[in-house]
Amino acid sequence: MMTANRPMFWRIVRRLLIANRGRLFVIVLALSAGAAVTAALLNVQVDANRRLTTEFRALGANVIVAPRTAAESSTLDQGLLEQIPASAEGQRVSAVTYLYLVADAYSPASKNATHVVVAGSSAARCDAGAKVAVAMHLQVNDKLLVRNQQREESCRVATIQSTGGPEDNQIAIPLDAAQRLAALPGRVSVIQISVAGTPRAINNYIADLARRLPDADVHGVRQFAEAEARIYNRISGLLGTTVVVVLILTTLCVMAAMTNVAMERKNDVGLMKAIGGATRRVLRLFLAEAAILGLIGGVLGAAAGIVLSIGLGKAVFGVAAKPRLIVYPIAVTLTVLVAIASAYPLRRLASVRPASVFRGEA
Amino acid sequence: MFLRLVADSFRRRPRHKLLTGAALALGMAVATAALSVSLDVGDRLSHEFRSLGANLLVTPQADSLPLEIGGVDYRPVNAGAYLPEADLPKIKTVFWHNNIIGFAPVLEVPVRAWTKSSETWITPIVDAPATVVGTWASHPVALSDGSAFSTGIERTNPWWHLEQGRWFSDSAGECVVGTKFSKRDGVKLGDTLNIEGPSQNIALKVTGIIASGGPEDDAIVAPLAIAQQLANKPGQYRRLYVSALTKPEDDFARRSPGTMTPDELERWSCSPYVSSIAYSIQQVLSGADVRVIRRVAEGEGRILTRVRTLLGLVTFAALLAAALAVGASSAASVMERRIEIGLMKALGAGPGMVGFLLAAEQLLLALAGGAMGYGLGILLARLVGERIFGAAPQPSLLVLVVIIGLAGGVTLLGSAIPLRRAARYEPAPILRGE
Repeated sequence: MMTANRPMFWRIVRRLLIANRGRLFVIVLALSAGAAVTAALLNVQVDANRRLTTEFRALGANVIVAPRTAAESSTLDQGLLEQIPASAEGQRVSAVTYLYLVADAYSPASKNATHVVVAGSSAARCDAGAKVAVAMHLQVNDKLLVRNQQREESCRVATIQSTGGPEDNQIAIPLDAAQRLAALPGRVSVIQISVAGTPRAINNYIADLARRLPDADVHGVRQFAEAEARIYNRISGLLGTTVVVVLILTTLCVMAAMTNVAMERKNDVGLMKAIGGATRRVLRLFLAEAAILGLIGGVLGAAAGIVLSIGLGKAVFGVAAKPRLIVYPIAVTLTVLVAIASAYPLRRLASVRPASVFRGEA
Repeated sequence: MFLRLVADSFRRRPRHKLLTGAALALGMAVATAALSVSLDVGDRLSHEFRSLGANLLVTPQADSLPLEIGGVDYRPVNAGAYLPEADLPKIKTVFWHNNIIGFAPVLEVPVRAWTKSSETWITPIVDAPATVVGTWASHPVALSDGSAFSTGIERTNPWWHLEQGRWFSDSAGECVVGTKFSKRDGVKLGDTLNIEGPSQNIALKVTGIIASGGPEDDAIVAPLAIAQQLANKPGQYRRLYVSALTKPEDDFARRSPGTMTPDELERWSCSPYVSSIAYSIQQVLSGADVRVIRRVAEGEGRILTRVRTLLGLVTFAALLAAALAVGASSAASVMERRIEIGLMKALGAGPGMVGFLLAAEQLLLALAGGAMGYGLGILLARLVGERIFGAAPQPSLLVLVVIIGLAGGVTLLGSAIPLRRAARYEPAPILRGE
């Protein structure tokens, strides 16, 4: 019975779709607009979350590895650096090591020694802080001599930094030079790690690292971690809410259109029932129609939305958002669900009585 | 006659009108919520970003180079320069005083600390070199207009959490200790810490334990007055942290004020850029060097700009979706009235008359639906605002005007296409039911 009826079922569905082109076009338009906005927002959301966490790293390192005792002289073994995982949940991790010491610095312009903090850093450069430069009359390209007890190192100043942070009062030299100066080969004072990721991923990373380095003190930089988590959660929540709201709107919009369709179809349904169509099958017919509309709208709209989100990503973050394939099926599925949900007004057709329809009663 | 027709249409098909009106109201509610939240969100986010901490640092101009490693200054107390605490209320007199949401002076003193283990002070259980960070926890600053501005480290460094106990009160002999210090040296709440400073000894009661994730975890945080007493520097401080609401810097903001024309200088100093706020603070604090903490200010500016654009786009998307929903439903409501239109035409109404009648009906609906949607949207915005930002946005009249305009525009636009088609209808086939 079912097999014989299947071609007939689809034929009726096809006729329904073709006969109502104008009305259905509006529905498909609404559905695909909803799908487009949903897909674009979902894609931007996935991308924005990732980009924001990367963007937050402009604030600097967020994980610190330091010696357990806080005394001035304690240091860590440089070999620890190799035990630091190079990635956390797919995000790159960058680590910089520092060795601090207080030494005498000499510049060509000043004869006297200046007592200054020297930071040996694995990002090997030769930089002077803004305040140091003022105090020592240093200029870019000057030769800088640093002396600690009998040991000396010299370098040419590459840049003068003004950060507003402690770097302004320091001289930065390559790590190996600082280690020679301090006579602490292979030792570092602190490792600063910059990990991008969600607040949870960063916490997991810190816990993991603390297990790997039992002899060191591993902690997150609270100053940024908390603000980041707060801002991240708010933005993520806002984007999520918008997606939900847009889907609800699409449902309502299609529902309104479907109500009108339902009223127009009274005659069709009356006829179907009169010639023996069961209510359930008639309803199935309309549900199939709605699902097809949803599919068409979803497939077209979601594709447009993903293209749109690439542009949006470019507008917001300056980098085109990567289209995420997972977003496409999700958006299409959501649209089909919305279409089926919005076929709810068609349920009224079940109560149509053929006789009254044919008598011309409303 | 015209009014009667319109009124009749509403009376005769209340369910239809209700449905279209509901769709309209809901669409406009979403638009209202999106607009109010996004208008409000910029300010909220700037405040949120202030939890990153101070973005301006004030130090004495004539200072010697700080020997600061890991946040601890190893200079002796008598080296370097200090700034007078008495000047601090002047910060709230600068042009941008409303943007300055908090400041906290800091004076660090290297000390030795111990707790007493018995009734005598002779056999201490802890005897460690430590740092006393003198600052304000929450300190009322008397302003020139007679009001008091409460500020301190709680405002500038909100990530300093009290793990136990409470903050010290500014006038009492109390202190809070960092969590590492407390763990290492076994200092508990209610203990008395005996502190030997460079110039005198003081006993402080421990009222709380703080965690900051920074060097303060190893320090003793005490009222500024106590640190001044310990260092014998009455009324002086070494560093001042200022937290100000700023506008993200653009290329114009980064120019040096010295190179600007008077017009440009005025525009520059009338924008709350972090550098112009720094400049205005520098003007009122003599002998101070005000520096922008670049890491915080730039990170904040960059993220804020991006987030604002993102929110703008999201609002636009929500508006677009709302407009489409309303447009589609009003298009549908015109389409279903073909028979009525046919009848009107058969009775001699011109296309202009028919269009005018239907447009009037739609506009009336838009007005009612828009107003209802506005009310609903304000509730929705309150819900969303409270859930996401913990504060409801203020209802704004501007949004109401925009929403009513949008509702009218979108319904007319949505009806325009079917109306144009309706104008071409031949009455006869419609009335025949074809």
